[in-house]
Amino acid sequence: MIRLLRFSSLNLALSYIALSISLLVLFTTPLGIAWRKDIDEARTENLQQDVQRLSEIFSKLGANGLAAAIDAHLESPFGVDRVMLLADASLSRIAGNLPAWPPEIPASTGTHRFAIDPDGSLMQVVVIHAILPGGYHLLVGREISRFKKVETLFWYGLAGAAVTVLLLGWLGGALIRRTLLSELHTIRQTASAIVRGDLSRRLPTQNAGDELDMLAQTLNRMLDQIEHLVHGVRNVSNAIAHDLRTPLAELRSHLEELSLTRPSPEETFAEIEIAVADVDRVIGIFNALLRLAEIDTGARRAGFVQVDVAEVAAEAAEFYRPVAELNGIRLVFESSNKLEVSGDPLLLAQAIGNLIENALKYAQKNGTITVEVGQRPDASVEVAVADDGPGIPDEEKSKVTERFYRGDASRGTPGVGLGLSLVAAVAKLHGGSLELSDNRPGLRARLVLTRTA
Amino acid sequence: MKVLLVEDNERVARFVKKGLIESGHTVDHADNGRDGMFLAAGEPYDAIIIDRMLPGDIDGLGIIAALRKSGSKVPILILSALGDVDERIRGLKSGGDDYLVKPFAFGELLARLDALVRRSQDSNTETTLEMDDLSMDLLSRKVTRAGKAVTLQAREFKLLEYLMRHPNQVVTRTMLLENVWDYNFDPQTNVIDVHVSKLRQKIDAGFARPLLRTIRNAGYMLTADD
Repeated sequence: MIRLLRFSSLNLALSYIALSISLLVLFTTPLGIAWRKDIDEARTENLQQDVQRLSEIFSKLGANGLAAAIDAHLESPFGVDRVMLLADASLSRIAGNLPAWPPEIPASTGTHRFAIDPDGSLMQVVVIHAILPGGYHLLVGREISRFKKVETLFWYGLAGAAVTVLLLGWLGGALIRRTLLSELHTIRQTASAIVRGDLSRRLPTQNAGDELDMLAQTLNRMLDQIEHLVHGVRNVSNAIAHDLRTPLAELRSHLEELSLTRPSPEETFAEIEIAVADVDRVIGIFNALLRLAEIDTGARRAGFVQVDVAEVAAEAAEFYRPVAELNGIRLVFESSNKLEVSGDPLLLAQAIGNLIENALKYAQKNGTITVEVGQRPDASVEVAVADDGPGIPDEEKSKVTERFYRGDASRGTPGVGLGLSLVAAVAKLHGGSLELSDNRPGLRARLVLTRTA
Repeated sequence: MKVLLVEDNERVARFVKKGLIESGHTVDHADNGRDGMFLAAGEPYDAIIIDRMLPGDIDGLGIIAALRKSGSKVPILILSALGDVDERIRGLKSGGDDYLVKPFAFGELLARLDALVRRSQDSNTETTLEMDDLSMDLLSRKVTRAGKAVTLQAREFKLLEYLMRHPNQVVTRTMLLENVWDYNFDPQTNVIDVHVSKLRQKIDAGFARPLLRTIRNAGYMLTADD
């Protein structure tokens, strides 16, 4: 992770530097081009003026006068970077600071660039070639390397700026890396602590709302869920150990007694049947646990379809009605119209069935059970099953959905304490919840389902 | 009838084989996928019981898929320790006709096997079902016993129809739950028994010969035999 980070923070700094330099180049290139063009134009204009002035001298004083003027000019302080040459019609030198007519310059007029080597130092010049009356040729030029200094200065400036950008980029990258590293270091430490088994550790969050903070919060929520699941598994394995051991112990003693006492065949068969019933009870617990595990994985969500909860509840109520009638219990079903949710019809039927079975177990003789399906203000769908039995004391309400939990009131009733766990798991799978409240007297269990789980 | 049992667990195989022979069937047994495949492809069977997970190159679903591919329509019952809904669906999709999760009661296996074999022989086009003097008209949805009309609710009609489609055959509570109510969970109460006894009240009360019998440790049977 750290290696990856080193790589990515280096990358970040490099990209930042590259971007800055490109910006610098992008900004200075047009500036340089414009500047150069401007200088070129000014220079040409200057030379044109020189040519103009010299032509005027020629027309007033003739070739000899011009030659004298050229020599005078070249010796003056203004002539330092000037190139001048006056030649006759046959291109032989008359005056000026060039030893001879340069072969690169054609006989026609125009502007030319070329290199000369007057005193061993090569210099670049730009010249204007003009033809004066009488066939005289005049070259007026200027050394361009004079501007080289400015140009050099410009390049140095650019290089300096690039180096500054490089340094700043590196510094920025290093700073970002240090910040990131220190935060990631905390995450790593916490994660290591969790790996070592301390599941209660959480990442520090500042509520700053930045990306790292959001990541930390998400990770914390994930850790909450993991801790919850691990505790669940721990509780379940304890519960399994207890609740499966009991029937298995009974079964074992039954069988052992049978093999020791060797009673009459009739008695033996009766005992075997009891043993088979014990085994079936254990299998039932296993099936219920496996079903719960299957629901908890959320895999059943793949098979979700649009389900009319009112219809599922109505069918479940009809399914149990004969049992209620047999026990003298009135089972009332109330529902408005179609109430569709996205869900698993079989699981919903089982969950509602469990609630009704639960109510049947605890309802008073000649009592009433109501099953109501309705819509809540927040558009979620609720299946409420209410009975008039003993209810669940407030302090037990949060515990009854725990696996294998059996309240005081359930002692002596059939069941293993997984019914409400299943309802709660189904509710959770459907993005809802199981709410337990007082029916005064009795219990009102509400299975709340969101429309789109 | 002649049944092929492909099961690698020796005790389960012995238990199933013994039960089937006692019920009057002939049983061939293979304890691995290769032998199972060989037998299934070579001999005509009335039904095949096959374990999903088998040693020997080819597993249960592989055998079923190969048989179906070759055009065989033999009824197949899958046995498996994998009970998830997904696993069930996969088993049935591969070409199995029914799926029974281990551990199971032998009565359940026998009843399901019978139902499978009858279904494959059933033409399923009749419009009236009869059992002794009990008659059901599937089109007008009327039921009469000895000429007297019996009034049934929709679900009771479905329950009776299922029983009449499996005459003289044991029908387990799980089969009723799955086929009449489309539920796949085990109710903690004796709710199926209550439904059946309500139906029995309507069709048998007042008649000398009861048709709907309770078979101990197994389920129910609709029969006119004594």
